[in-house]
Amino acid sequence: MGNLLGTLSIASQALEADQGALQVTSNNIANANTPGYSREVSVFEPEPVVTEGNVEFGQGVTLSQVQGIRDQVLELGLQQGLQQQGQTNSYLQSLTQVQSLFNEAQGVGLQGPLSNFFSSLQNLSTNPTNSSLRQAVISAGQTLASAFNQASSGLAQVQQGLNQGIPQTVDQINQLTQQIAQINGQIQQAQSSSADPNQLIDQRNQLIEQLSGLVGVDNISASDGSVTLTTTSGALLVSGQQSFALTTGNVSGNVDVFSQGSDITANLSGGTLGGYLQARASISSTQQGLDQLAYSLGSAINAQQEAGYDLNGNPATHEPFFNLPASGPSGAAAQISVALTDPSQVAASSDGTAGSNGNVLALANIENQTVVSGQTPTDYYSNFVATIGTEVQQSTNQQTAQNLVVQQLQNQKASVSGVSLDEESANLIQYQTAYSAAAQVVNIINQIARTAITLGQSG
Amino acid sequence: MRIVPSELYSDLLSNLQIDRQNVNQAVEEASSGQSVNTLSDNPLAAGQLVINRAQIADVDQFSYSINTVQGSLNTADSALNSVVSSLTQAVSVGTEAAGGTLTSTQLQALAQQIDQISQQAVGLANTTYQGNYVFAGTTVTTQPYVASSSSPSGIAYAGNNNTNSVEVGEGQTVTLGLPGSQIFNAPGADVFQSLTDLSNAIQSGNQNSIASGISEVQTSLNNVVAQRSLYGDTLQQLNSDSTNLSQETLTLQQFQTNLIGANEAQVATNLSQAQTTLQAAIAAASQVSQDSLLNYLK
Repeated sequence: MGNLLGTLSIASQALEADQGALQVTSNNIANANTPGYSREVSVFEPEPVVTEGNVEFGQGVTLSQVQGIRDQVLELGLQQGLQQQGQTNSYLQSLTQVQSLFNEAQGVGLQGPLSNFFSSLQNLSTNPTNSSLRQAVISAGQTLASAFNQASSGLAQVQQGLNQGIPQTVDQINQLTQQIAQINGQIQQAQSSSADPNQLIDQRNQLIEQLSGLVGVDNISASDGSVTLTTTSGALLVSGQQSFALTTGNVSGNVDVFSQGSDITANLSGGTLGGYLQARASISSTQQGLDQLAYSLGSAINAQQEAGYDLNGNPATHEPFFNLPASGPSGAAAQISVALTDPSQVAASSDGTAGSNGNVLALANIENQTVVSGQTPTDYYSNFVATIGTEVQQSTNQQTAQNLVVQQLQNQKASVSGVSLDEESANLIQYQTAYSAAAQVVNIINQIARTAITLGQSG
Repeated sequence: MRIVPSELYSDLLSNLQIDRQNVNQAVEEASSGQSVNTLSDNPLAAGQLVINRAQIADVDQFSYSINTVQGSLNTADSALNSVVSSLTQAVSVGTEAAGGTLTSTQLQALAQQIDQISQQAVGLANTTYQGNYVFAGTTVTTQPYVASSSSPSGIAYAGNNNTNSVEVGEGQTVTLGLPGSQIFNAPGADVFQSLTDLSNAIQSGNQNSIASGISEVQTSLNNVVAQRSLYGDTLQQLNSDSTNLSQETLTLQQFQTNLIGANEAQVATNLSQAQTTLQAAIAAASQVSQDSLLNYLK
């Protein structure tokens, strides 16, 4: 049989539920532009029925849940995309700096000084006794050595910047993992008291996205609502309420990254940090290539110089042209300098006479000899430069593609989780109508109740 | 699929940025005149540019070298010209002395003329160019022909027998003249010996000696003429090399333009297109409706 009070309570419960739904809608509208906000949807559930005799009476509605609408798969995909984007961006930034050191398209780099050096030798061959031509050879040699020094120091500076950026990035990573661990705790608490931790989950996702931009992470959801984060190579970053800080330390002149005491640098990838490490490896290889050129060219010149005679007819056996590191190519570009101090020391002569140019002709001819890793100096440098350009070009293309991918993922995420004002407005109308209807029911019950109360009274 | 406003705005923004980048790129090409402004614009072209510029520098150097050596070769050639004249003169003096009709005094006078010619010849054999002796082989700072009492002709050669070569083209060298020993005191054709012998013969008045002296001078003269032809040939070769190098410079520069130069018409078109696209995107962005159902709720 129903009863009026029961009906009233159903109506007033409905009012509560609709009020709640309106509040959720209002919250969505307010947060329409909040970054990382996932729209919330009110979930209505009917109250359990009550059976009287063989009639089941529904007991109204309750707002059982406020559900945050998000797609975890999309979110993970977006985090992956951000990791790659972060890495490519920071890698490209460093490479662009390297490229500007050798921008032969604008005449910057080694080609000019190399050509000038060989030209000065050719010039001397036309008049070996001429002191200003001899001085010009020494000057051209100094200019060439300087160019090597500067290029090498430019590369070293980029490396230094990277080694400074790595600890800074690690600090940021540690701050984020700390915050994520904290939120893990808060979410665990909220879930155990069966509250909906929507805001916390959104916050955590934002933090993980930021973290992804900094380093490559794997994201594993645990059953208690927390996430476990590790680097892509498995080093633990966050587990439950605990975060594990990364540290940095100096290893053979480079800053390496450590997790719980072991050096994880070699396997780190993704994000800005991955980009820095990739750039550092690339620049190290570029530096080696430069050193090879300086060392091989310098050594060939030295060998030929020492095979000749100086202006005074003395064999130039212990008068090398360039100073080079004794141990090998490493550091050659940074250290190369002209060893000769006097123009008369240039070993132009091949027979001990002042006017012979046989040796300086041979020196000039080194330009056409395959003295650098089986290539002429010019060919070697040409490949060196093309390699750098190709690397930058490929990374630039990668960056463009990845930006599009990330954007698409963000759009997809917004499509699922973003607030649509049209939709919320429609919801407003819907809940307002329901509220009005419920209120109207209350009104009518009120009237009926009054009637019922005055039933017994009569005139 | 749900579309929310934030998607729209982020798409617009990223497209605008791409459009702006394209405009920047076109402007850079237009202002630099180059289609390749950094290595990454065209890595292969950048690599080839390095080689091309090295080649241009080489060709410039060859032209410069040719200019330089032409100076000394011309000087040597001109000196040899004078030597030929002098020796021709000596032959004619000798011929005058032959015939057996001259007095002793006249013969002495003629012998003196030969001596003077000999001194001239020594001077010419010691010709310098910019401070270097041109007939000394490679000992260019030492006078090649010096007075020597131990030499039968009174003149000894103090130079050596080496010569320099100079590179005037890719793998192409020219020999810079000859050592004096091949020109002035070759075996059997010694200029100074022959002049000394002729002078002595004339002084002696002996017809046979005079005839023999004339023949000796003639032989040395023939040798000088023969050796001199190398100089003329080399100078001619260098002239033609110089012309070829000018042509090669043009070819190399044209190659460079093709490699990295910007086609003006193309660049202007690109710039215009990029700007149009940008403006259209901006205009579209400004027209995006801000309306939503919210505006219509009463």
